[in-house]
Amino acid sequence: MSEHTPTIPRSPGCRILAVGVLAAAGACTEALPTVERKELVRSGFATEVILEYDEFASGARVYGGFGRASDLGAGFVAHDFGPQPDDGSAQEGLKASSLLRFGRYPKTAQVSDTTGTTRPDSMLTFLFGRLVMRFDSLSSVHNDEPVEIFAHALTEPWDGATATWDYRVDSVGHRERWSVPGGGAVEEIGRTTWDPETGDTIKIRVDSTWIAAWSDTTDFSRGVRVSTTTPGVRLRVSSALLRLETIPSSNPDSIIQVPSSTENRTFIYAPAATAPVKTLRVGGVPAWRTVLDLDIPSVLNRPDELCELVGCPVDITADHVSYAAIRLTTRTGARAFAPTDTLSLDLRSVMAPEILPKSPLGPSRTGAFGTLLPHEWFQPPAQEIAEIPVTGLVRDLLRGETMDGDPVSKTIAILSIFEPLTVEYMSFDWASSPAAPKLRIVLNFSHGGGT
Amino acid sequence: MSGALSGRSARGGRIPIPALLGAALLLALTAPAAASAQSFLGFRALGVPVGAVGARGTALGNLGIGLARVEISATDPAASSRLVFPTFGITMQPTWGSFDLEELTGTSRTNHLPLLGIGYPVRTADGVVGVATVSLSGHMEQRWVARRQSTVVLSEVEVEVQDSYRNDGGTSVVRVGWAQRLGSRLSLGVSAGSYLGRLDRVFDRELDSLAVGGEVYSFREEYAWQYSGYLVSAGFNAEPHPLVHIAGAAEGSGNLKETPREGTEGEGLYSIPLRFSAGASGSLSPRLAVNVSGVYQNWAASDGFLAGVTSGRKWSYGAGLEWRAVEGLTRSLPVRFGYRRLAPPFRFESEDPVESIWSAGVGLNLAEEEDIRFGWMDLAIERGSRSSAPLDEHFWRATVTLGISRF
Repeated sequence: MSEHTPTIPRSPGCRILAVGVLAAAGACTEALPTVERKELVRSGFATEVILEYDEFASGARVYGGFGRASDLGAGFVAHDFGPQPDDGSAQEGLKASSLLRFGRYPKTAQVSDTTGTTRPDSMLTFLFGRLVMRFDSLSSVHNDEPVEIFAHALTEPWDGATATWDYRVDSVGHRERWSVPGGGAVEEIGRTTWDPETGDTIKIRVDSTWIAAWSDTTDFSRGVRVSTTTPGVRLRVSSALLRLETIPSSNPDSIIQVPSSTENRTFIYAPAATAPVKTLRVGGVPAWRTVLDLDIPSVLNRPDELCELVGCPVDITADHVSYAAIRLTTRTGARAFAPTDTLSLDLRSVMAPEILPKSPLGPSRTGAFGTLLPHEWFQPPAQEIAEIPVTGLVRDLLRGETMDGDPVSKTIAILSIFEPLTVEYMSFDWASSPAAPKLRIVLNFSHGGGT
Repeated sequence: MSGALSGRSARGGRIPIPALLGAALLLALTAPAAASAQSFLGFRALGVPVGAVGARGTALGNLGIGLARVEISATDPAASSRLVFPTFGITMQPTWGSFDLEELTGTSRTNHLPLLGIGYPVRTADGVVGVATVSLSGHMEQRWVARRQSTVVLSEVEVEVQDSYRNDGGTSVVRVGWAQRLGSRLSLGVSAGSYLGRLDRVFDRELDSLAVGGEVYSFREEYAWQYSGYLVSAGFNAEPHPLVHIAGAAEGSGNLKETPREGTEGEGLYSIPLRFSAGASGSLSPRLAVNVSGVYQNWAASDGFLAGVTSGRKWSYGAGLEWRAVEGLTRSLPVRFGYRRLAPPFRFESEDPVESIWSAGVGLNLAEEEDIRFGWMDLAIERGSRSSAPLDEHFWRATVTLGISRF
């Protein structure tokens, strides 16, 4: 075979190759043709299954005692509110009083002197005070009638964190009763009438005697009890403070108002909510939690249309679950603690069920705002369906672990989005009732990807 | 030319040939599936065929055979027989498509590497005894997304559902071959190859979260298949007259096997019909050449496909003109025009599909002597359409081939 090898100038080939490789690597943006046409799509199938309580859960129980009234940051005032049988036992109406303890008075204040110059004044003379309280008129129940509000001075030492209706100190291993339930022996400071139509704020004058007495911050009996004698009301106290009417030394012809800090703000009430009987409960102060043990079935034998499509029994995997929600049926609880505003449910995994009720809980499964429930759902006749989405949890349980590979607890707690949130609590039908909790699952299947 | 397996970098350094080959193959295998266009044709079968032709052949309306002075070819086994230096070619192909499907329209934009090849002349003391070839080329592809909206009733509420079905994949062929010159006018070539590639399908279903109740997860199932099979081909190149070049080839294939990967069900086994191709080119003047080519492949008798899917058309053909508009001592700039009419093997519904393409292009032969190119860049632009009622597709396609020799 004859062969002639040409002699050529130096080849620029490697430069060309480099350009080509770079061009190929850079040409990456793609958009595949996309069409809306049913015969090109291997269709899917969506179905819904409602699992009865016994099919997915067991061991329903209610635990109480989470949080304290002093954690709430708000107070309540009530008298004979909502007397009615609760869970079959006669129950008197709710009585509630707010307890306040003011802190150290201000030592200085910025004051305009006689020349009009503003400067600090540390020689203050406190004349008297005004107790200023603001009510949450929307979440308060007052029947649109004027409400008598009383301010009494407490005379018995009390613990701002643990005081209850019966005990002035109710700490672990240390209980001391009031001499009289509801705040012990008290002395009236003043009274006023709150008319909801005229505003949301009341003021009660506090004599100089009490102002002088409360200046001793080592006296643990100092404090104010705010209460009412108007029956059938339950008022939510959104704020309370003491304003001191003060004469400054730099301008003795003037009277200025100086606010005092609030050291403790809590509320006490009676009767305490009794443990529920055959009722699931969430919320309240201290808070109640409902706990369930879940056992999500991984095999289904219904519904019929699913069996016709893929044949039964059907293996259910996490991927098939597009939506899952626990359905609770609302019921009317004690009127004394009936919700008067929208409440929010949370659902968390119980990380160590064996040490309930003190088990730590996992992160919220319902998001920052929880599942909102209108208060009307708990008014007669109730029986509304509250649906708590738990898709992620059910998928985790079917998978046997979380998406991150962590173990997943089968025990869940249904609780208030914050604990405590309010004195009100939510009631739901018990596990053995006809309206027991159910699990709604939306399942998806494809008709296969066959070629 | 050194017999050592190494090349020279742009700065004069030596680059091992195996490294170049490995890098090129890696680039091709990690790129999107080799393909020439996206289409809904053959959505119930293997998709549309991929033209494994470089930019020069593309511009000339050539079907991959019968073109004189071809350095790298996947479909003309004897084409590389004239190589005297190791030669590497890579082809890139961006495509901008649109489609009309009854009242529906849409567009697409894709990039591909339809052909990558190496020819390596084997030398003895007497000179070149033959050329070993390796190529990776496209074969079939199906890349498209279909959606469907519907409603389902859940808890007595109508819930909107959107289904999405994504097909992405196709087959490529890796071939090794040998091209042998027999005298000065005849060359023979053989090649053997294997099908490669995979098909990924993703079914995605989304429910309207507002209607369902919140925290709705989309349902997603993924399926994947892997392709395998073998094919062999043989062909010749001849120059019965100094101004005429003819070529022919036959390619036989075993069954194309579609094997489900883990978690996927459904195996496919498709018979690929014999493919006969022939072409010729001739010089009309020192600067003007003409070429024609044709392919016969009868898919109608193939097994493994759904009834009514395969087309009854068997013939594809093309023709083109090449005019060396500028010709220097070691450089030239040819201008090319072409047309080809193809018979895609699979229908959209019941009508046999037809694809017709007008093309034009230009070559930048940066270093050549005695009709042998040592460094070149070919560009082609195509305007094509394919139809199989009720589907009409149109596309603009650019093809760029870069080739180097004597590295």
